[in-house]
Amino acid sequence: MNFRQQHIRNFCIVAHIDHGKSTLADRLLEATGTVAKRDLQEQLLDSMDLERERGITIKLTPTRMKYNYKGEEYILNLIDTPGHVDFTYEVSRSLAACEGAILIVDAGQGVEAQTMANAHLALDNRLEILPVINKIDLPSADPEKVKHEIEEVIGIPAMHAPCISAKEGTNITDVLEGIIKEFPAPRGDEDAPLKCLVFDSYYDNFKGAICLVRVFDGSVKKGDKIKFMQTNNEFEVTEVGFFIPKPVECEALRAGEVGYIAASIKKVSEARVGDTITNATSPCAEALPGYKQVKPVVFSGIFPVDGSKYGELKDALEKLKLNDSSLEYSPETSVALGFGFRCGFLGLLHMEIIQERLEREFNLEIIATAPGVNYHIYKTNGEMIEVSNPSNLPEPSLIEHMEEPYVNMHIFTPPEYMGSVMELCTERRGENTDIVYLDEKRVRLDYDIPLNEIIYDFFDSLKSRTRGYASLDYELSEYKPSKLVKLDILLKGEVCDALSLIVHQDKAYERGRIMAEKLKEVIPRQMFEVPIQAAIGGKIIARETVKAYRKDVLAKCYGGDVTRKRKLLEKQKEGKKKMRNIGSVEVPSDAFISILKID
Amino acid sequence: MKNFGLYIHIPFCVSKCSYCDFCSFVPNHKQMQDYISALKREIVETGEQTKDKVVTSVYIGGGTPSTLYSGAIVEIMDCVRKNFNLIKNCSVTIEANPNSFDNEQAIEYASIGCTRLSLGLQSDNDKILKVLNRVHNYHDCVNAIEAARLNGMTDINVDLILGVPQQTISDLQVTLSKVVNLPITHISVYGLINEPNTPLTKAIEQGKYTLPPEDEAVDMYNLTVKTLAEHGFYRYEISNFSKIGYRSAHNMNYWRRGEYLGLGLGAHSFINGTHFHNTEDFSKYLDAPANCKEDIEPETLKTAKEETIMLALRTTDGLDITEYNKTFSADFLQEYQPVLNKLLKNNLIEIKNNKLIIKDPYISNSIIAEFF
Repeated sequence: MNFRQQHIRNFCIVAHIDHGKSTLADRLLEATGTVAKRDLQEQLLDSMDLERERGITIKLTPTRMKYNYKGEEYILNLIDTPGHVDFTYEVSRSLAACEGAILIVDAGQGVEAQTMANAHLALDNRLEILPVINKIDLPSADPEKVKHEIEEVIGIPAMHAPCISAKEGTNITDVLEGIIKEFPAPRGDEDAPLKCLVFDSYYDNFKGAICLVRVFDGSVKKGDKIKFMQTNNEFEVTEVGFFIPKPVECEALRAGEVGYIAASIKKVSEARVGDTITNATSPCAEALPGYKQVKPVVFSGIFPVDGSKYGELKDALEKLKLNDSSLEYSPETSVALGFGFRCGFLGLLHMEIIQERLEREFNLEIIATAPGVNYHIYKTNGEMIEVSNPSNLPEPSLIEHMEEPYVNMHIFTPPEYMGSVMELCTERRGENTDIVYLDEKRVRLDYDIPLNEIIYDFFDSLKSRTRGYASLDYELSEYKPSKLVKLDILLKGEVCDALSLIVHQDKAYERGRIMAEKLKEVIPRQMFEVPIQAAIGGKIIARETVKAYRKDVLAKCYGGDVTRKRKLLEKQKEGKKKMRNIGSVEVPSDAFISILKID
Repeated sequence: MKNFGLYIHIPFCVSKCSYCDFCSFVPNHKQMQDYISALKREIVETGEQTKDKVVTSVYIGGGTPSTLYSGAIVEIMDCVRKNFNLIKNCSVTIEANPNSFDNEQAIEYASIGCTRLSLGLQSDNDKILKVLNRVHNYHDCVNAIEAARLNGMTDINVDLILGVPQQTISDLQVTLSKVVNLPITHISVYGLINEPNTPLTKAIEQGKYTLPPEDEAVDMYNLTVKTLAEHGFYRYEISNFSKIGYRSAHNMNYWRRGEYLGLGLGAHSFINGTHFHNTEDFSKYLDAPANCKEDIEPETLKTAKEETIMLALRTTDGLDITEYNKTFSADFLQEYQPVLNKLLKNNLIEIKNNKLIIKDPYISNSIIAEFF
């Protein structure tokens, strides 16, 4: 084997959220002198503010580090991975770019849902796993017990796992040595045709879409003609390089190395994650396995609070899309909310991130409708259509049956909360498929449950029922027939399309009642009485009333001060701009948001 | 020649009422003298600029004009008559406090052609008058009316106030039953407004007083409208009621968006298509009474339309659509079609004989704001 490749280690760090992934990454950068301590912002790899705030990583930034071991210099490429189930596919592609994975487990918390999910992903990608027990400085730490748990639950040897405190910098050398000793070196053929994996991409205003790649075979340099094997697009390479963690141009990327390729690619959608890049003139025989086109699973309508900002919202989504090919959007019109977009997301977190970025980075006030899933509607004429917007549901008489997506869900919880968790899952139409006692302090509950039931407040409910101890993971399974109905909300007799929902018929009554009650709280009294009704088909299932207000003022227009009076009324009118008109009823933008927060 | 109304502000009171944020204060004699001479200078200089116009009504308000030293009002009115073209039989109203108006004043005011008296009674109830920090009682008012009538001032208005802390429906019933039997022609009924920084507002914020609930305030208003109508006082504006033929000419001019000129400290004007007001700073006013205009705002098509609608909809005559269309070369019904549909559908307005009228006066602000 080639000497150069023998001194490369490509690895990632996987962990359950909050187990210390980013903190360990920071310590590694520091210990290898890649980043001086004084330059080290807390959790350096998470470059977006939002990520740092939430303590989660979304974007992956591969970093090249140098480390001397027994007199020889090694190149360690750290490929950070997003820690959330929404981004499972991205995680899997990042893993495919590595030979090894550090599996961090919290010495106090032990194995959690995402520890399991990530460990299995790593094993599926045939990675060598180095377990690391973190947070040994905590009083609750029990490293020996956690080691046993890793061996029992995940089935990998853990007795020699480094026990560290990433926060305090304890035993970081053990991790670095473990990386060199435990993880295999890459074994690419430098002379073979170029074969490299795109494991992420981002958009640069000057260079276009930048591909983050792992070269498996061959090499790539500036001026090369390259081809994306899934899309068949060809480009000429304008720059190659790597990150330390700032990008540094280099002469070539060779087999076994990790870095970036710029090739004047206009959109990130042309540089798809999972695609294989090869040489356009002498391509490799076959692409790397595992490519998938990512499809959104959660959908929501997004509208500007101020209708005149539609153009700005469009521009903002375009800009976000440049960097996030998994975001999908198309124009949508709502009677209640005007012009906006129906957006598709990889999951709920992805949705929240996009919504927050629109508000923070683009200063837009938005209204998002209740998140929903993609339903399969089988019509009486034999046709099947996909519907994610309740307003697009055909007349009930035209529907033969409907199907909704289900997920396999795994919940890890201390046994004392089992009853409460199972109750929650049953309420949400979940069917228990397995119960596994991992040890006396942890049980895994598996459920077959509709995706729609877990996309909004499920995780919050789970956390509050288990005092934050439970963790959750899921993967999409299949579409199954379901008795679904469209629940409409009528304000003063007019349907408010933005509040319509597709729900299971057994839950429609309760949901309708709760929504009507909630709306009564958030719709201000108006000049006239406002009846709020929930309806299925033509049938009213719940009713509330917002009474008319009786007076605003009997003021004197004194001393001829007409200007002041006019300005007061202008102000009153201005305040109404934040309201949405549903028929003649004024509904504050907040109402749409608060409706989503019903448990 | 164009007509306009003349308003003269007297910013003095014997004491300040707890709810008042008008431009007024308790003066000494020198301040009164200085003010009267400044006011006369303003009358002379502005009169010069309005030679081409005719004054159709004069309103001397405040503050409390009747707190002025004897002879002051005569000085002012003489000066006004010399410098402005008053129409023949021009209506001249003067405001007075029930306890600062007696036979002496009645003689003085009648002598210079005051035809109309406006008395700030507010309530007959001593408990409520105390909350308001008023310094008179009901008997003062009865005496003032008698004095006025003895001297030929028979067109008399009484101000009442609604929705005061501690005021109950039965309190109001008593007040109304007394007032309707007074020999008067006009009653103004204002809802209490909590202006920021008044002593009453502060007392309410501190929890010393609580306002009557919204529903009760509306009930009070409805009771007022009904009781007054039963006794021949018909509502013609949100807060104004009169016997037939006794509407306030000066105020009607405001609601028709006629021109008016305000003289004196802080007085507001709308003349030659421009809104402005005099300074509220007493010494600035004394320095340059005819040259202390602030917030000068020429009308725009938008503000002209908004004001026309806002003012007209306060009256029971409503907005004359034909006149609106003529004034603005517009088609009102088309211009406001969606708003009109919404309001008509909810039975909040009616259109009769090409006049738009608000049906529900207590939410007039919200209705009017729809047109903005």
